[in-house]
Amino acid sequence: MYYFVSENIFAYNSGTEHAQAKRVQFFNREYQQNRLDQAAYVTRDYNRFLNRDAAAIGLNNDEVLNMYDYFQGTTNVPRKKQHLRLLPQLPLDRYHIVGHGPNYSTVEDKGRVIARINVMPATVGLVNDITYYDRADNITVRENFDWRGFKSSVDYFHPDGQLAVQQFLNLAGDPVIEITHMNVNGQLLPSMYKLKNYLGHDYRFNSQEQLFLFFLNEIARQQPDVTLISDRRGLDHIVAAVQGTVHKYAYLHGIHVGNVKHPVRGKLYDAYTNVLERFGGAFTAILVSTVSQQKDLASRYPALSIKVAPDISLSPVTLNKAPVTLQKQPSHQLIYVGRLSPEKRPDQALRVLAKVVKTIPDATLVYYGYAASQDIMDNLQTLAQKLEVTDHVTFGGYVNEEKLQQAYQQAQVILQPSIAESFGMNLVEAMGGGVPAIIYDVPYGAHVLVADGVNGYIVPDGSNNTMAQKVVTLLSDDNLWSQMSTAAYEKAQAFADDKMTIMWQNVLK
Amino acid sequence: MNFFINATMPDHKSGIEHAELKRLALFNKNNEPAKLVLCDWDPNGHITANQAGIQDEQIINLFDYFQETSNVTAKLIQVQDIEYGVLDAQYTDDPTNSRYLVTANNQLIARVNYKQDDTRPVKSIEWFDGFNNLYCVDHYDARGFVSLKQWYTADNKIGTETWQTPTGRVVIEAFHKQTMRGNMQKTSWRLIDRHNKCQQFDTRTALITYFLDCLNEDYWSLDYPNVFILDRSHLGDQALLQLKKPAYTVFHLHNAHTADAQDPEAPLFNNNYEFALNVIDGYDAVVSATHKQTADVRTRLQPKAQLFTIPVGVVSNKLLTAPHVPLANRQFGKMVVFARIAWEKHLDDLVRAIGIVHREIPQVTLDLYGYPDPGDNYKAQHEVEAVIAEYDLADVVTLKGYTTKIDEVQNNAMMYGLTSRMEGFNLAIMEAISHGLISFSYDVNYGPNEIVADGVNGAVVPYGDYQALAAAILQVLRDPALAEKYIEGAYQSAERYSEAAVWDAWKKLLSDAQASWATKIAAMPGHRRG
Repeated sequence: MYYFVSENIFAYNSGTEHAQAKRVQFFNREYQQNRLDQAAYVTRDYNRFLNRDAAAIGLNNDEVLNMYDYFQGTTNVPRKKQHLRLLPQLPLDRYHIVGHGPNYSTVEDKGRVIARINVMPATVGLVNDITYYDRADNITVRENFDWRGFKSSVDYFHPDGQLAVQQFLNLAGDPVIEITHMNVNGQLLPSMYKLKNYLGHDYRFNSQEQLFLFFLNEIARQQPDVTLISDRRGLDHIVAAVQGTVHKYAYLHGIHVGNVKHPVRGKLYDAYTNVLERFGGAFTAILVSTVSQQKDLASRYPALSIKVAPDISLSPVTLNKAPVTLQKQPSHQLIYVGRLSPEKRPDQALRVLAKVVKTIPDATLVYYGYAASQDIMDNLQTLAQKLEVTDHVTFGGYVNEEKLQQAYQQAQVILQPSIAESFGMNLVEAMGGGVPAIIYDVPYGAHVLVADGVNGYIVPDGSNNTMAQKVVTLLSDDNLWSQMSTAAYEKAQAFADDKMTIMWQNVLK
Repeated sequence: MNFFINATMPDHKSGIEHAELKRLALFNKNNEPAKLVLCDWDPNGHITANQAGIQDEQIINLFDYFQETSNVTAKLIQVQDIEYGVLDAQYTDDPTNSRYLVTANNQLIARVNYKQDDTRPVKSIEWFDGFNNLYCVDHYDARGFVSLKQWYTADNKIGTETWQTPTGRVVIEAFHKQTMRGNMQKTSWRLIDRHNKCQQFDTRTALITYFLDCLNEDYWSLDYPNVFILDRSHLGDQALLQLKKPAYTVFHLHNAHTADAQDPEAPLFNNNYEFALNVIDGYDAVVSATHKQTADVRTRLQPKAQLFTIPVGVVSNKLLTAPHVPLANRQFGKMVVFARIAWEKHLDDLVRAIGIVHREIPQVTLDLYGYPDPGDNYKAQHEVEAVIAEYDLADVVTLKGYTTKIDEVQNNAMMYGLTSRMEGFNLAIMEAISHGLISFSYDVNYGPNEIVADGVNGAVVPYGDYQALAAAILQVLRDPALAEKYIEGAYQSAERYSEAAVWDAWKKLLSDAQASWATKIAAMPGHRRG
């Protein structure tokens, strides 16, 4: 059994979570063919929406294992939509439930509000949490509901309203984990994690990390053939400490230095110290997605075993779709797929667009991805106004897999203006949809994914002029586009399951 | 079902608990179902109630009821039985503080407080987090499970209290919060019942009200009423007026109803009863232990509620049929008293009377059986000792302390004395007449001046007149024939408190309850057709 160890799955996920989730799906596809062992996505954090978020990222129940769910005995609870007016715990012969629009209702006793029920985001009337108030209007207790409709945790508060005690419940309502919040060096922080009546015993931990290590040790202890892959740099030291596994690996989803021009001698990112310097020896191998990064790391850390393992694998379903042919009226649509954050330079795509529209007036650009901050979004919009391309830009936000596949059907070019990318999963997926890529010449994925002039173009880093010229070239020549689109499809075939399986088998043997 | 409502059934019982125990025994003997309804959280409650002879089946404690612990087999929990959550917990005994210090890796994990006896059962555990904060105290029920957890605030005060089932599911919460004036108070209670229904209450009184509704529902019948007998007014004088469904509610007086017990028309009511007496017709019945008090209540309030006189004491058949001890077999001049040495018992007056008697009859002696009240630095005892010194009675008056050898002591004595400032009934003087003791009492409300019948089983003298009391004692000590008459009178007058007589009084109340039921049901919304 393979466990890919992470912190969480979110409503908006970054590339790391996507890569991890796709790897789980891939392993389990191959497991059906008896080619790879079964895999699951392990998360540490308490997340009442995990069931929703895991489904949104394409994982089913058996493919996710969360620490809290594990101890709460709720790993496999089917979803029941719990409407706030049908909550069994509210005695409707005693209280009124008074609605206040779509976001919340109040529970009232003879006209006095004794509790507020918040509606679960993006649902109609499903209960998210219930907060009770005393006669002086202090918050006394909050009950938090899981997406699947059961009461999952209860919070108590200090007199000043700060969190005091969190109790996480099993389905019978017994607390199985208690987190106490008390003063730690004068600051109110979680000071005690207590696991209660786990296999008949209590365990106490000073931090969530210690609890997580205990959890991973239990997973490794209870199964004969556990292999862990650490996917989050914040968890490397914990995975390194786990005992009883067959193998432990760490998969690096990023570039290990800030200055990509000096990958061997440049200053290491702090986050990579644990996996590469302190605890590297605890891992059977450290996995990266390109040969270039492998070589850099191998010369930097000759004592460590650094191997290349696929960052993505495309399923037969994806690859066997009928290729898109150019419509009578080409879309002239450019897309950007990824988080809107400074190291990915989303503004460069806008600058490219502004130059393209001068030649191709109906060119458009769609961003898919969430903004890392509101500032970034504001700046992009201001820039769009300044460049007078507001009407040509759409911010499509974070979309699910299905929408993204549709986007690839629509688009004619994908732009990748990042400062650096350890790989470029988005490019592989775009090519799977027949979309040629025009990208900056940065480490590490560029030359692995794009053959200049074949399935796209690699232009000098930072030259949006060149990038714009290449876009114009490509969009102005339907035959050229068709050739490149076909080449993109062909390139995507290189990442087919059967090929990736061989690579993984070599790594894991 | 008949419910007797009280706070708890502790080791040290007051007259109210004794009255309930006798009543319960009487109901049991007559196969009339009854349960003790207890409203206080008491970690020793079941043990002490069991020791008083009550089975778990007859106890419904509010907390137990919701904690699902009404019937738990007791087990011993000692320091080594606790899950500390660490490897290699070390225990260091700290006998001066009756506790163990539990450490691991030189870090204090917990302080385990134990009961000081051979087996050292765990009473409570103070838990410390990894940063030396006391964050929680677990309180154990004496039957061996965590009953109450008190969660601490960052500044070391009790914040939230949670009561739990033996599996740890929280069922009652109480919250200490700041009020608008900045005081920390218990501002809210929340209940999560066995059906997972959550309800909030502002006060414990409101929670008790709900609890009584639950009991009324649990034992609901269209054929007969539940009877709620309130033995401590503060627990339910409002609640019984607010029951959701009908029941037969009984307000039980256990003391004088006025602040000045001697004056039934005194403007101030006894504080404990003030509310109930102002809404007296909100109850179906009011019970007092003496005819005199019943009459005084009737005269003053003219209530529509039914008034019943039911003695709170019961003289057992065994005692009533025991052979009568004649004067000749008793120590001449021996007076005994069974009472706490306390201000309201006013025993210094009794010693004064004995001092006067002693001048003429040197054989007179007085034995005081009972704990001294430590109040005001044992003031009452010091007052008694001062009078002993004043009258030079060191060889005459003896402070004996508490005894359980009632039969032996009373069968050997001749007289019983009572000079209290106030009384609710006084079981001791009822015991005295049933042992054939000649009783001398002030005319004190309520009880002594009815249990003692002047000229029948002793003498009742004006309130506070110890000289008159001395004169009455002297009259008997000078006249053996009169003494014999009073001894026999005492035995006879005890018949008023026989099991049969008291049960007859209860039957009247229970019949009234049954008679009222059809009307109550008929008036109940939604149940007009039964």
